[in-house]
Amino acid sequence: MKSGSSKLQRNIFIASFIIPTFVFYCIFTVYPVIKGLYYSMFDWSGMSQNKEFVGFRNFKDLFHDPIIWKAIGNDYFLVVGKVIGIMVIATFFAVALTRFNFKLAGFLRSVYFIPNILSVVVIGVLWNFIYNPQIGFLNGFLSLFTKEKVSITWLGFTSHTIWMLLPPAIWAGIGFYMILLIAAIQNIPDSLYEASELEGAGQWQQFRKITVPLIWEQMKVSILNIMMTTLNGSFVIVWIMTQGGPDNSTQVMGSYLYQMAFQQYHFGYGASIGVLILVLSLITTVVLQRLLRHETVELG
Amino acid sequence: MNVGIRNPVAKGFFYLLLLIWAVSVIYPLIWTLLDSLKDNEQFFIHAPWSLPDFPLLWSNFSYVWSKYNFNTYFVNSLVVTVGSTLLGLILSAMTAYVLARYKFRGSNFLYLLYIASMMIPFILALIPLFFLMNSMHLINTKLGLILVYSSSLLAFGIFVLVGFFKSLPKELEESATIDGASHFGTFFRIMLPLSQPGLITVAIINVLNIWNEYVVGTIIVNDPTQYTLPIEIAVMQQEMQYRTEWGPLFAALLVTIVPVLIMYILFQRKIASGITAGAVK
Repeated sequence: MKSGSSKLQRNIFIASFIIPTFVFYCIFTVYPVIKGLYYSMFDWSGMSQNKEFVGFRNFKDLFHDPIIWKAIGNDYFLVVGKVIGIMVIATFFAVALTRFNFKLAGFLRSVYFIPNILSVVVIGVLWNFIYNPQIGFLNGFLSLFTKEKVSITWLGFTSHTIWMLLPPAIWAGIGFYMILLIAAIQNIPDSLYEASELEGAGQWQQFRKITVPLIWEQMKVSILNIMMTTLNGSFVIVWIMTQGGPDNSTQVMGSYLYQMAFQQYHFGYGASIGVLILVLSLITTVVLQRLLRHETVELG
Repeated sequence: MNVGIRNPVAKGFFYLLLLIWAVSVIYPLIWTLLDSLKDNEQFFIHAPWSLPDFPLLWSNFSYVWSKYNFNTYFVNSLVVTVGSTLLGLILSAMTAYVLARYKFRGSNFLYLLYIASMMIPFILALIPLFFLMNSMHLINTKLGLILVYSSSLLAFGIFVLVGFFKSLPKELEESATIDGASHFGTFFRIMLPLSQPGLITVAIINVLNIWNEYVVGTIIVNDPTQYTLPIEIAVMQQEMQYRTEWGPLFAALLVTIVPVLIMYILFQRKIASGITAGAVK
């Protein structure tokens, strides 16, 4: 009898702590995600009257849409550029600030994280100013070396403008991954480094033989995370800096989704781009996990 | 023991690289301050790195504050950030505690369901969220933003707090139960106060994320009286094509940056431990 009522009390407690959060989560996260899959099967301008079920036609249309191919290319360009840029620099900083005995290490670590506390909107505006053709830093700097004032429209080329978005994206990402890698390096037992030092190993040897193999898991997580956040979120930097232009040359999947849905009211088509982003990020996760696991075996 | 770098040339070179990067990070903040004190003319005549002329135009700040209505946007950002951080924190702490301490059918599945959303690109939910908010009459409301934001905070909060609650010794609850405390009493009087460090860490990371959020904001809010700071900054910079007010734009950036910068200076250790805890998957 007594154990029965205490069991009831326990269940009431569990239910009252679990259910509110769960209902909330279902309404504002699970439901929209599922609904996103559902909408991708419709031709829909946002009004309820003319919502027409079209099956997979949106995806067929996507396949024949040259802009989406451009966008996918740009997305993966940013993924590759960011993974290389961020990982190389962040790893270097993480090692330098933990293993090199620099006096300012603590201070620099705090400073390097600053871009990560800024809104991407703020970062976009700051970099727009760097690239500004008339009053920007870049042209101003180049003008120091030329007779005539340089007035290159850095964000106006119809090709390669996407390259201009890479520096802000890398600049903004480094601090976060550096902190992760620093934490991983600090978990490596000092005795390993000491032993290798007795054997006469230098910094480079230690880096290759000890640091990289032992932080590889964290590097893997970081690479996957960069890929995910890029496919999911490069929309903002693109939208603030180029709005996908000129002539759709810097369009990424996210910005194209936004443009299709919220500016041209092709909500079904927009939703199908969302599904595409989901599918591509899942596939890329699996592929990367394979590739990176292979790497560990070689190093190990 | 750590020998550092022996070769003085290499050491100098590495130091130089590190300092260059430090400058590249700090300098934009300094130039934001300097440029927020200039008028248009100075932007077009002088180099972008030149110091502002005297008298310094502090009036740019009062100008964006009242003429550009940054007083409103600032308060909106504040309300939305505090509201969603608190709501998200309460909801994730309750679930995290139960998931960490009670075994019941489906508890593992529930945990995975929350964690899985960290793997799903949120942008997929953007279109349905707009229509959901619309049908609930929450478009252009701070409440709408708070609800969506706090839901987006759950996965991270639950993930970190489950780990935190698991790290607390079990004896605490056992002795509380012996003393006759109810499940609720144990949670509110013992576990919640003890988990303060974890809660604060999660709260700080959440505050940063929400204060800076743009995508969901721009979808759900298009009434200028409800804008948050990032939404207005984006709008303001687009308007710069038609009316050039560079000084005020930089003043506006500073108004947006300073609160998070202060938070960062106060809580940097917490922030570092928060992102480390959130990323170990």
